[in-house]
Amino acid sequence: MRGSSRRAFVAGASLALAGCGRAVGGGRQRATLWFAYGGKNREVLLSLVARFNASQARYQVTPTYQGDYFECLAKTRTAIYAGVAPTFTHVVGEVRPYLAGAGVLEPLDDYPGASTLGLVPALSQRGSYTGADDQPLWAVPFNRSTPLLYCNAAALDAAALSPPESWDELVAAASRLTTRDGAHTTRWGYEVPIDWWFFCASLAQAGGSLLDATGSLSLGGDAGARALRLWQRLIHDERSMRPPPGRDYNAWQATNQDFLAGRAAMVCTSTAFLRYMEENARFSVRAARLAGLVRRAVPTGGTFFTVLRGAPPAEKEAAWAFLRFMCETPQAIEWATRTGYLPVTEDAVATLRRSGHYERSPNDAVAQAQLGDAVGWPWSRELFRVQREIVTPRLEAAVLQNLDAARVIADARREAAAG
Amino acid sequence: MLGPSVLVLATFFVAPLALAVRDSLTSWDLLSPPVYVGLANYARLVASGELAALVGRTLQFALVVVSLSMSLGLALALALNRPGRLVAFVRSAVFSAYVVSWVSVALLWMWLLDADQGVFAAGARALGLGRVGFLTDPGVARLTLAVVTVWKITGFSMVVFLVGLQDVPRDLLEAASLDGAGAWARFRHVTWPLLRPTAAFVGTTSLIASFQAFDVVRVMTQGGPVKATTLLVYAIYEQVFLDLRVGRASALTVVFFALLSGLSMLQLWLMRGRGGRA
Repeated sequence: MRGSSRRAFVAGASLALAGCGRAVGGGRQRATLWFAYGGKNREVLLSLVARFNASQARYQVTPTYQGDYFECLAKTRTAIYAGVAPTFTHVVGEVRPYLAGAGVLEPLDDYPGASTLGLVPALSQRGSYTGADDQPLWAVPFNRSTPLLYCNAAALDAAALSPPESWDELVAAASRLTTRDGAHTTRWGYEVPIDWWFFCASLAQAGGSLLDATGSLSLGGDAGARALRLWQRLIHDERSMRPPPGRDYNAWQATNQDFLAGRAAMVCTSTAFLRYMEENARFSVRAARLAGLVRRAVPTGGTFFTVLRGAPPAEKEAAWAFLRFMCETPQAIEWATRTGYLPVTEDAVATLRRSGHYERSPNDAVAQAQLGDAVGWPWSRELFRVQREIVTPRLEAAVLQNLDAARVIADARREAAAG
Repeated sequence: MLGPSVLVLATFFVAPLALAVRDSLTSWDLLSPPVYVGLANYARLVASGELAALVGRTLQFALVVVSLSMSLGLALALALNRPGRLVAFVRSAVFSAYVVSWVSVALLWMWLLDADQGVFAAGARALGLGRVGFLTDPGVARLTLAVVTVWKITGFSMVVFLVGLQDVPRDLLEAASLDGAGAWARFRHVTWPLLRPTAAFVGTTSLIASFQAFDVVRVMTQGGPVKATTLLVYAIYEQVFLDLRVGRASALTVVFFALLSGLSMLQLWLMRGRGGRA
C-alpha cells in the first residue's frame, strides 16, 4: 500500500512537472521570465507583467527575480545546461554575441511584427553593435541606458560652476567641489566606479575604440592610456575623486549612496538611476552629458530581452507576445519615465516630446539628447572575455596603484593577442 | 550499517570530487560541449602565477585567522571559565557573533570600516594615521577581512575550549598548586597538555573556516581591491559564475581540496603530538 502510494505520488508529481511550462489554469499559455535587479525597477517590471497578464486571456508571464545581471546570467546558463531554463530573460549587451555564438538564443526575425517594432536605432541590436548587420535579430531592447553625469546642483551653484563639458573642466570642477577638514575629505568632487563600462566611455571620448581596423583588440592604444590617466590624475594628483569601495555593481551602489549622502558632488553612473536619485536626494539633482576630450561619447548599456532557443514553441510565442507588449508606446513610456531608462521606441520618444515631458523633466531630456553621442559595441564573441579577463582585472590595479598607463594597455593587448 | 553513510559520502563527496577532477581536464562554459584539454588548466594556473598568488593570499589569511582566533578563544575561555552572572553574560556576548549571519556581520563592518565616515577611520585620523582605506587599500584589505573573520569565529573557539577545560581534573591542578606551581606553570604543564586534542579540533575547524571564506569576501570587497582579497573559494566562484570557465574553476577546486586536506592532516599530526599521543 505504502509502495503504491509512493508510486502514485511520483506519477502525480511527474505529471504536474510535465504540465509546468506549457499551460496554466484556464488554458493560458505560460512563459517564464527571469529578471535581474530589485528595488524600483523590479516594482515597475512586475506591475507591467501584471498588466500584460490582465490585458488578455491567452498568455501568462511568470516573472522570477534572479539577483543582479551577473547572477541572473550565471543562473540562466546553469539552467540551460540542466535543461530547466526559463522561456526568456534579459542579458547585458557585452555577453549577447557570446550567447548567440553558443547557439542558445532564439532568432526573432520571423516572429510576427518583428520588423515593425519601431525601435530607437541607437538602442536596437543593429544600432548598438558594429559589424552586426548580418546577424539575425537576437534580442529586443528592454532597460537600455548610457552613463550620465549627476551633479549636486546646490554644490555647483555655490561654487558658481556649470557641469563640465571637457576633461579639463571636469578636473577643475572636481577640485573646486572637493572640501576638506584638515586631512579628512568631507566631500569628494567626483566619483565613478572603476569599471569597464565607464572606462569604455572615457576611451571613446579620447577618440579610441576597443578594436582596431583589423578586428584585433587595441583598447584604443593611446586613447586607452589617456582614459586611465584621467582617473589616475583625479585620484592621486588632484585627490578629488573617490574610487568607491567594492567591485562590479557593489561599487555602483556605493557611488549612488555617496552622492545621495552629499559625500560626492558629481558622480558618473547609469541613467537607470535617474528617478531613484531625484526621488531620494535632499538636494536638486542636475544631470549632464559626460565631458569629452576629442569628442563626446558614451557606450550604451543595460539589457535586451532574449528568448532561449530551447524553450517549447508555445512558450516562445507567449514570450514574444510579452516583448511586443513591452514595445507598445504606453508600456515603453511607463518603463522609461518611472525608472530613468531610455524609451526604446521612436513613437514613445515622440509621444513624450509632444506631451511636454522633456520640458517638465529636463534631466530626462539630457539623457535622451546624450543618446546622440552613443557609440556601438563591436559584435565579437570575445567581447565578454575581453571585459571579464583582460580589461576588468587591470583597471583597478592601473588606477589604484598608479601604474604606467601605456604599459597596462600594451600588456592587455599582448595577453589578448596570445589568447 | 555502513550503507547509508557510504551512500551519503559517495553522493555528496566522492562523486562531486570525481566530477571536478574530470571537468578540470576540459575547457567548458556550460553552453558549448566540453573540450578535453588534459592538464592545460593546471599548467595555465601555474604558468600565469595565478595559483601561487591565490594560495599565498589564502595561506596568509588563514594564518592570521587560525592563530588569532585560537589564541583569543583560549584566552577568553581561561578568563571566563568561572561561575557568575556577569561572566555568563560576557560568554554569551562573545559567542553571539558566531550565530549572526555572515551577511549581517559583513554589512555592519563595512559601515564601521568606511574610509571616510567609519568609526575606525575616525580613530585612525585621531591617531594621526591619515586616511586608512581598510577595505580599499590593497595592502590592508586582506588583514581587515581576517580580523573581521576572527571577530566572528572566536566565540566558537572560546566555547570549545571552555568544554575542554571542563575535562581538566581539578585535583591535578590542586596537586600542582600544592607542589608550588604558579598559574603559568599549571597552565603549561597540566592544562595545555590536556587541552591539546581540543586545540587540534579548534585549529582544524578554524583552518577549514578560513579556507572556505566566501561570504565575507563576496559582501565586503568582491575580491578587490586589486585582487587583494581574492581567496581560493572566491576565485572558484569568479571563474565559474562570472568568467564562465568551468574547467579552470574545477582545477582550482581540486587544488583547494588537496591543499586543505594536506594542511588539515599536518595540523592534526602536529597538534596531537606527532604520532597520535593525544
